[in-house]
Amino acid sequence: MTMLLVHLLVDGIVTGCSIGLVAATFAYFYSATGTFHVAHAGIYTFCCYVAWYCIGLDIPFVPALLIAMIVGALLGMMIQGLLYAKLERLKATPLVMLIGSIGVLTVLQNVSAILFSPNIIQFDLPWRTEYLEFGPILLSIPQLLIVILCPLLFLALQVFSSRTALGRQIRAVASNPELAQITHLRPQRMFLYAIAISSALVAVPGTLVGIDQAMQPYTSLIILLTAVVAVIAGGIGSLAGAFLMSIVLSIIQSVSVLFVSGRWSLGVVFAIFILFILLRPEGLVKRKFKREL
Amino acid sequence: MRKLGIGGFVTVGLMGFAVGGAAQAADLTIGALLPLTGPAAPIGIEEQNGVQFAIDQFNENGGLDGTPVEVVFDDSQGKPDQGVLAFNRMADLGDVPVMLTAYSSISLAIAPLGERREILIVNPAAQSDSLADASSYLVNTIPLVGDEAHVLANYASENLGKSAAIIYENAAAGVSGRDSFKKFFEAAGGEVIADEPVEFGQTNYRASLLKVAAAKPDFVYIAITQSQAAMADQIGQVPSFPLGIGNTFSSPFFGYPSTEGWYQTGIQSGYPSDELVTKFKEKFDVDDMGFFAREYYNSTNLILTLAQSLVEDGKELTGKAMREALFETGTFDSDVAKLEFTTNTASRPVEILQYQGDERVVITTGSVAE
Repeated sequence: MTMLLVHLLVDGIVTGCSIGLVAATFAYFYSATGTFHVAHAGIYTFCCYVAWYCIGLDIPFVPALLIAMIVGALLGMMIQGLLYAKLERLKATPLVMLIGSIGVLTVLQNVSAILFSPNIIQFDLPWRTEYLEFGPILLSIPQLLIVILCPLLFLALQVFSSRTALGRQIRAVASNPELAQITHLRPQRMFLYAIAISSALVAVPGTLVGIDQAMQPYTSLIILLTAVVAVIAGGIGSLAGAFLMSIVLSIIQSVSVLFVSGRWSLGVVFAIFILFILLRPEGLVKRKFKREL
Repeated sequence: MRKLGIGGFVTVGLMGFAVGGAAQAADLTIGALLPLTGPAAPIGIEEQNGVQFAIDQFNENGGLDGTPVEVVFDDSQGKPDQGVLAFNRMADLGDVPVMLTAYSSISLAIAPLGERREILIVNPAAQSDSLADASSYLVNTIPLVGDEAHVLANYASENLGKSAAIIYENAAAGVSGRDSFKKFFEAAGGEVIADEPVEFGQTNYRASLLKVAAAKPDFVYIAITQSQAAMADQIGQVPSFPLGIGNTFSSPFFGYPSTEGWYQTGIQSGYPSDELVTKFKEKFDVDDMGFFAREYYNSTNLILTLAQSLVEDGKELTGKAMREALFETGTFDSDVAKLEFTTNTASRPVEILQYQGDERVVITTGSVAE
């Protein structure tokens, strides 16, 4: 029983790290723009397919991942420039923006299926199923990469947001777009940077999870749902809250199979979400439901 | 413009009717409702290839009384609601008298519609036990999961141990597999000590695998219809994962280090001639004419045989006439399979196969009756 608990904890932490970066990047763009960017899930999957395609062309893993990140950034900028910016100019309500984003997600899923494959894909990488032993725990190389890279990239995002000039400019626009405009910070340009950064970063968990487990064009929505729960329960506007809450929720989801059938594990996550909404609406990290970085 | 008199109108009308009637007798459009997108698409596309190949071969050999047979494909996305919409599209716009189907939940959803509209539905691969009597217009050219589970449960209780765990897909085929295996295994003196569902489309199975392994059963019966490769990889990471067994839809588990020595039942399914297999591989650029391609090829040929016999007898190509012809003929023999219909479900032998290196070795062949 104890060993099983340890295994499930480790599985939860690994899953939590990948979802954590999805949640943090989703929160980053939401905080910057106020757009509920559901299409983030589509970018997550699309980038995985790009990396898979590149590796199929015998491009080594690291360049393939970098290409996927660049494609992710460009795709995000396209979505912002061609859809969100135009909708904003038309004074679209948040609901219209959300529906537009769902539309983009559906298109991306279908484009992934048409351009690459509707199949469940597995990467042709020899190290994909190699394991390292840590006592009784076996971790695959992709799992190790997830545990190392995702928290590192999350920290890098934190540092970028709080310590760099561009990061501060994006925060300034997020806090007060009108004032930022007066000071010659162009909000739409900042939004482009924000979506490029979050889309490039989400390519990393997308690709690594694809290598670890397999990927198909339609699986990412459930990952985004958990990430969004983590964003809200972690405290909207708090990147750290979103990342930590993702790990907590993933551990709960994983360990819950000890007590309930696996079919209820996602239900457990959403039950916790409802409890958070009722008992601590400001989330784990107190931000009072306002868009902040 | 010259006007036709009443006599001329009637004559032209009758000629038109006669021409239309004759054309109608040999005109056949077959519907194929397959999951062409979504998690089940890999299987759906293999099935589509099998159907298309059978139609192409038939038309190359002269078609139906000189008229090429047509096929209309529609996408169920692996979802019952989309399946019903696609069924109605093909019934209303395509006016098809016969339709091939795939996946249990979709076949179950359209079964009553087939009955109501007298469209014969041919199921070459879905295996939920509920399909046995879902509709008098639904025929299954493959034994159902209960038949396979029965043979497998008897074999497992005698040879593999008395305690089992079950991992099943929480959808029609998986639930049916779980229920059937549990019933027959317990009847054979075995005990199911754990069962764990997984979701259709899921790719992370680690928590479920760890839980099942911790129960320490003699073996695990696995009933999932997709993502077997991902599960096989993750099983390799779980220390002391027990031996796995499964039904026909466990076939993709073959060929992984973690599944060496596993067992699965298989419906006896042969290959068409070498020449046809080569042609198939070239046409669709694939390495093999897989199980689903062969089964859909064979079932499409069954439909074409029925249509041919109706045309030869001067009968109309309706779903009702095809259904009657199917049960009148009863037995259909081909290189792929010998199908015998005494009920809506064809009876065929079931093999127990074991994964031994790069081969699936037939350990024994049985049937429910045995």
